[in-house]
Amino acid sequence: MKKQSAALLLMLALALPLGGCASQPAEEGPKEEVTAERVVQYGLSNPWDSLMPYNSPSGSNYSRIIYDKIYDRLAYVHADGTVTARAAQSWESVEDGCGIVFHLNPDCAFHDGTPVTAEHWVETIALLTDENCPALGRSAFSVLTGTDENGVATGTEELGVKAVDEHTLQFTFKTPTIPEEFLLDKNREYYVLPTHLLEGVDPAELMEQDLWAAPVGSGPCEFVSEVTGNSLTLKANEDYQLGAPGFDTLVITVMDKSSLLTALIAGDLDYYAFGGSVSADNAPTATEAGFTVSKSEAPNTFYELMLNCQTLSDARIRRAVEYALDKELLCEQSTGGYGEVTSTSILPTCESYPGPGETTRNVELSMDLLEEAGYDGETYTLACTSNRSGLAALMQQQLAEAGIQTTIETVDSATLFSGMSDGLYDMAIASHTPSALPLWFVESRFSAENNIFHVDDLSPYLTGIDAIRTETDQEARKALVAQLDGLLAEERPFIPLWFGTALHVESNTVTGIDYDASSFSNENVWEWEKQ
Amino acid sequence: MIHYIRKRLLTAVPVFFGITLLVFFCLELVPANITDLGGEEGGTAGNQAVMEERLGLDRPVVERYLIWLGGLFHGDLGDSWQTGRPVSAMIAQRVGPSLILTGTGVVLAILLAIPLGAAAAWRPRSVWDKLASVCSMVSFGMPGFLLSLAGVYVFSVVLRWLPSARMYATGTSGTVGDLIYHLILPAGVVCVSSMGELVRQTRSACLEALGEDYIRTARAKGLTERQVMRHALRSSLLPVLTTVLSHIPHIIGGSVVVEQIFGWPGMGSLLFSAINSRDFGIVMGVTVVIALTVLGTNLVLDLLYGLVDPRVRREEVGR
Amino acid sequence: MRRGGPGRRFWTDRRAVAGLMILLLEVILVLLLPVLFGMEPNVTDQTAGFWAPPSAAHWLGTDDVGRDVLARLICGGQVSLLVGFCAAAISLGVGVPLGLLAGWKQGKWEYWIMRLADVFQSFPSIVLVLCLVSLVGASAWNIVAVIGLLGWTGIARLVYANTLTVREREYVLAARALGGRWTTILRRNVLPNAVGPVWAVLPLRVGRAILSESSLSFLGVGIRTPQASWGSLIQYATNTAVFVGRPWIWVPPAVCIVVTVVSLQWVGDGLRNALDPRFYTGNKA
Repeated sequence: MKKQSAALLLMLALALPLGGCASQPAEEGPKEEVTAERVVQYGLSNPWDSLMPYNSPSGSNYSRIIYDKIYDRLAYVHADGTVTARAAQSWESVEDGCGIVFHLNPDCAFHDGTPVTAEHWVETIALLTDENCPALGRSAFSVLTGTDENGVATGTEELGVKAVDEHTLQFTFKTPTIPEEFLLDKNREYYVLPTHLLEGVDPAELMEQDLWAAPVGSGPCEFVSEVTGNSLTLKANEDYQLGAPGFDTLVITVMDKSSLLTALIAGDLDYYAFGGSVSADNAPTATEAGFTVSKSEAPNTFYELMLNCQTLSDARIRRAVEYALDKELLCEQSTGGYGEVTSTSILPTCESYPGPGETTRNVELSMDLLEEAGYDGETYTLACTSNRSGLAALMQQQLAEAGIQTTIETVDSATLFSGMSDGLYDMAIASHTPSALPLWFVESRFSAENNIFHVDDLSPYLTGIDAIRTETDQEARKALVAQLDGLLAEERPFIPLWFGTALHVESNTVTGIDYDASSFSNENVWEWEKQ
Repeated sequence: MIHYIRKRLLTAVPVFFGITLLVFFCLELVPANITDLGGEEGGTAGNQAVMEERLGLDRPVVERYLIWLGGLFHGDLGDSWQTGRPVSAMIAQRVGPSLILTGTGVVLAILLAIPLGAAAAWRPRSVWDKLASVCSMVSFGMPGFLLSLAGVYVFSVVLRWLPSARMYATGTSGTVGDLIYHLILPAGVVCVSSMGELVRQTRSACLEALGEDYIRTARAKGLTERQVMRHALRSSLLPVLTTVLSHIPHIIGGSVVVEQIFGWPGMGSLLFSAINSRDFGIVMGVTVVIALTVLGTNLVLDLLYGLVDPRVRREEVGR
Repeated sequence: MRRGGPGRRFWTDRRAVAGLMILLLEVILVLLLPVLFGMEPNVTDQTAGFWAPPSAAHWLGTDDVGRDVLARLICGGQVSLLVGFCAAAISLGVGVPLGLLAGWKQGKWEYWIMRLADVFQSFPSIVLVLCLVSLVGASAWNIVAVIGLLGWTGIARLVYANTLTVREREYVLAARALGGRWTTILRRNVLPNAVGPVWAVLPLRVGRAILSESSLSFLGVGIRTPQASWGSLIQYATNTAVFVGRPWIWVPPAVCIVVTVVSLQWVGDGLRNALDPRFYTGNKA
């Protein structure tokens, strides 16, 4: 039968490649039979970018937490805002506060055995600030002298980084900078690269180097293999200056957010980032499965309602929006009771904390303000990501109670932020990881390059920010911060909502994890111990 | 025959162009591109210019399209926008796992669906028929993610029989046994979700065949039920296989949902994460690979049909 | 063998009729209940709180925002059914004319229409869906349009194949010989016969569109809030606490989808049997 033979041929054609592929990985895979290997299985909900830390378009925490393993940073940032030694053993302020000297740990070494010297740091920064180098996220270097506002070396002035001796590194800043504040702000963006492997490389071709396919760093874990965007295998750096991690291999796998907790319970993960965080809703599930759930010491998320000051041009309307919102209820919905409402972006743990401000709902006041401003019933678009659609729906109702009409746009995070900066949306719900610095939020959002709230006249904010940045006296600074915060409350270019505190599911198989610090993009893997 | 082959090949050319055009300009229209990422971390000002220059995004669309197309003709699928590394290397990593997962699922589905569908057609209203209905009910009515979640909960969390994620147990990577152990759940989900359609197809194709004159003649001539069924089943194989082959984009493209949930390193999750991270270099490369494979299979299929059945050939040429 | 016209044959098929009845009932329920009981699917009940268990006031409890789940289930049914039927209608609306044209005109028309169908069929639909949805936003109508536009190729091919056979039939040849306008012949003689088999596959399309919408919800590009759909309600199951501890949230929409899809299948089977009299139904003595 002809039909039959055609069918058979088809079957064969289909089955052959399948069979071939099925047997392939068995031959290719590494065959070492290590039975007593201690493997930490690590879950992550989103993939990382390139393994080159200055080639990350998103600059997301998912990438940073990976770089944190392979590359070394100057210090380790704790959740409470304290900073302890990592690549640098100690540091001190010099040159009237405009410089910081770091005493590097002489035991630091790259994974190829080359010791890390101050020269490596200098060369790394010189390479990245080169105007021909297509480095991303280098605005982190714009605080150093000799760079422009994007962190590109000007060439007219000496670059503010130098090696005093083999293990002494000095940074020079444009404005007086307190060492701890510099580290809190920028530590996660300063890595040392193996410049001895990059000798003679044209800065313009830095990103095309094969080195980034199998990177060499000086961090606590060494690169083994990668399936781009799906899994990363690392092994412990036995010679890490702070001690060898208590495991042999660390396997990081990308999984859907919804399967992380189930995989942990099923024993297919030992831990997942960030800090095994779990919603208040799911905490009982984890407890029932025999896990300990702990609460973070310090808040680790800041929720805000971004506003478009061009379309909501009247400050009274923006304030009316704030008064229309029942922050307590929204916070309860979002955090399950593990959050604290706020009217400022400054953390309560910050030394210049201006106080909680006014956070209660006041619909009448809101309606009065609307009437005063002549609100004509215009419908605003409220953008949110799909996991916050419930929150957005609740906001929509609350705003409607005050008479403000909204439609909700559910989009992904990239579209949300680009839509906000293009002025496509009028409001958007966003969250960020806060730090204990007074300017952590405002500084980068009130600049000419990134005026995401579309503020008409930035100058009052810029003056305020500059004054705070250069003021070193705590009391005077506190007054300045309160002044800027007053301006923000008056103008309301964005609405601070609440600080959320994470719950962590503690690993039953790995001990020594600093769960709280994980939200701040660093993990103490050198202290982890797989049981 | 050569004429026929040439004709078939020529028709593939405009289709391929159409696909490159569609994917390129579709992605061009997406509101946020890779230079817009990083907003959550408070500012991309410095990045935007650097990325635009590196990726040549400041050039006109048509020029960029032609450059990309030129690369394709030289066998270059392009580079990842993010890492700058060739897309082909990333696809090479993902093709195998994708084929293993979806291939196993679909082959399993075929092996189960054909006998079940035939049995259901042979004895309508029997246990088999009921089983076939239940099967297509679950398969058609349950979204894949719900099946996956239920599978993970029952077999991994409660019973603890099967792993809930990954392709190999960490550390012991490489053994076939381990792979199969990790494959059961995800492949099971793929199998169940593609089975319904196949059971239905087989059942109706067999029913149709049983209604044909020659089968009735065969019955009248006193052939045993088994022999009758063999005839009926034989003629139903072709439509079933055509259905399977029409699923080839999914087989190669992988099942996004299942791969996402099980952390499986397949093409589907590559495509999905590339879309989310706006790495259009990867999206375009993967799309082209999938499209080429589908075109290739269709071509081979047509040729096979033409080879087996000369009428097809003549008809095509005659037109 | 059964006798009588297609209509008769359909109405004697018990399963098909049952399927049709269930569907009709569903449509009536989702349209009438919200009006009759004044259901408000988008309003938070502050007294009940978030995630309230089933009670007299809220038969299926409340969701993460304190909205009544039953109201959302029923109003979500409107959206899901709308997505299903309209997406299928769009596939039909695009696929039938193109298939007819390709089959009737042949030559260049045939070539380009079929190539266009090839393009759509060999394109990974997820790319198209995610791009289009991020481009035009995820409103119910946009989802309908996207799902519908992706499904036209199958219908176009079916109509095309049928047109090819129908155009060679005597009555069509006769009409052509008499010099009738081609549009008239197409409408009067070809269309009814070429489109017949399409009705049988249409119910399945509806079911698949409903299911597609729920997968889109999982990928984060489904129906947008505050609107609900069955797919977006099942979505709550991705939260472990809901999946294990609050089955009343996600089981009802899942059951609704299964029932709808199965009824659609029955109707589709019934239609095919009715339209194709040769078809062996197994009811023969």
